[in-house]
Amino acid sequence: MDDFFFSLLLAGISVGAVYALIALGLNLTFWTTKTLNFGQGSLMMLCAMLTVFISSQGVAITLAVVGSLAVVAALGMFIERWTVRPSLQSSGGSMGWVVSTLGFGIFLQGMAAKCFGSQAVAFPDVVFNAQDFVTLFGQYISLQYLVVLAVAVALILAFELFIRRTVWGQAVHAVSLDPELALVQGIPVRRLILGSFMLSSILAGVAGVLIAQIGGTVDPAFGFDLVLLGFVAAVLGGMGSSLGALAGGLLVGVISKLVGGYVSTAAEHGIAFALLMLALAVRPQGLFGRPEVSKA
Amino acid sequence: MLELRDLSVHYGAVRALEGVSLQAAPGGITAILGANGAGKSSLMRAVSGIAPVVAGQVLLDGQDITALPPPARARLGVAHAMEGRRLFRQLTVEDNLRLAWSFGARREKLAASLAEVYARFPILETKARTAAGLLSGGQQQMLILSCTTIRNPRFLLLDEPSLGLAPIIVQQIYGFITDYAAKSGIVVVIAEQMAALALKVSRQGMVLRRGRVVLAGAGEELLRGRDGTTLAASYL
Repeated sequence: MDDFFFSLLLAGISVGAVYALIALGLNLTFWTTKTLNFGQGSLMMLCAMLTVFISSQGVAITLAVVGSLAVVAALGMFIERWTVRPSLQSSGGSMGWVVSTLGFGIFLQGMAAKCFGSQAVAFPDVVFNAQDFVTLFGQYISLQYLVVLAVAVALILAFELFIRRTVWGQAVHAVSLDPELALVQGIPVRRLILGSFMLSSILAGVAGVLIAQIGGTVDPAFGFDLVLLGFVAAVLGGMGSSLGALAGGLLVGVISKLVGGYVSTAAEHGIAFALLMLALAVRPQGLFGRPEVSKA
Repeated sequence: MLELRDLSVHYGAVRALEGVSLQAAPGGITAILGANGAGKSSLMRAVSGIAPVVAGQVLLDGQDITALPPPARARLGVAHAMEGRRLFRQLTVEDNLRLAWSFGARREKLAASLAEVYARFPILETKARTAAGLLSGGQQQMLILSCTTIRNPRFLLLDEPSLGLAPIIVQQIYGFITDYAAKSGIVVVIAEQMAALALKVSRQGMVLRRGRVVLAGAGEELLRGRDGTTLAASYL
């Protein structure tokens, strides 16, 4: 295995794990409301930009990250209350949330450009800098990529444990299956939905910081492509499946990095959408989409 | 005490209930009878909070809950087995029970509550790890009943518990309901199309037709009928 291939593979796995994180966030709101927050990309950007801004004021970088995540979490709840809920309550089961969440995202992007300028700014090193590496089997491995991978995988595992092992995770599952039955059984569905948007936004925020760390810079337009890649990962793996999100994320990450390395970086994102179209044509339920379990 | 005062439920232009009043005291079963579309389910949905009430009040022990959202009513002890065998079909039998217990009154530990359910319906223990959607109709109804009783409710609403089941299973289900009502001393309301079946075990009954009360009285009285034809006539 040559070095070039190996480094592309590692980079692909690393960003792929972050795409999986974004996909999990999309899955979460899909479970509770059958909606997706298309403003997620702007939340990723905002979280990274705020981190840069707060740390530039002399605050420790970890504190800056936590503070930015808190802001993004609050915005996630705002998005549910003011862009998604009104749309779902309007008569005729409207799809207005597609435009309202996207619109709010574009608004955030505009505000960020106004407040922080539209130039790309350097993202500070959180743990390691881009030159740190370890040697393994004779290969140079970037520590930043490893940290990003480790954080993403740890969060995915924690999220899965939360969904599978806790009562609240089960409640999320229940709401996705039959919201009315969940209400009647005393599950506080409203609060659960609000919480799902909050958690989904936090996942997006973390993903934003991780990608910014790898890329080294962040600008107001950052994030929009990324949430689309997360969406591709979610659909590819099977909308609503956590294992699918991980597989889809890794697939998109690795393939786009390989294409970027061997063909052209300009084709990196295009290939993800080619994958999406292929998946929708061949296997629309996704890699891990489950058939319904039912008996009349 | 469950009380409805002049309750009206409208789905847009469709008037499902018009000015229905009812008092159901604890320690006995109340039967809500009527043909398809008479408003039985709407009445129950109004109590658990998932029907659009346009006028009137729902009271639990004198407390007006008409404006409360469904989960708050569930916390006050309302348990509703909805029509159409509603279960979380992809979840296992035990997950359904655990979920119902988790958001219920939790008067006993989960293990004790589960043991009680399994002692009553051993087949549910055998099928504990099976997806609820794969159970037979009778088993699903047993699970639904168990999901409501495991919550330790104070107001139990059962919508057509006999629908689509074999007579022998219906007997078993009704046996369970009567026992539970007698033992627990709570308010039990059953909506049922098979009038005789429900009235036999009920203290009082009420017949709905097109959203209005057309007949109400003691169970025995409705069953026998003053002239034997009242009940049948009220269905027409």
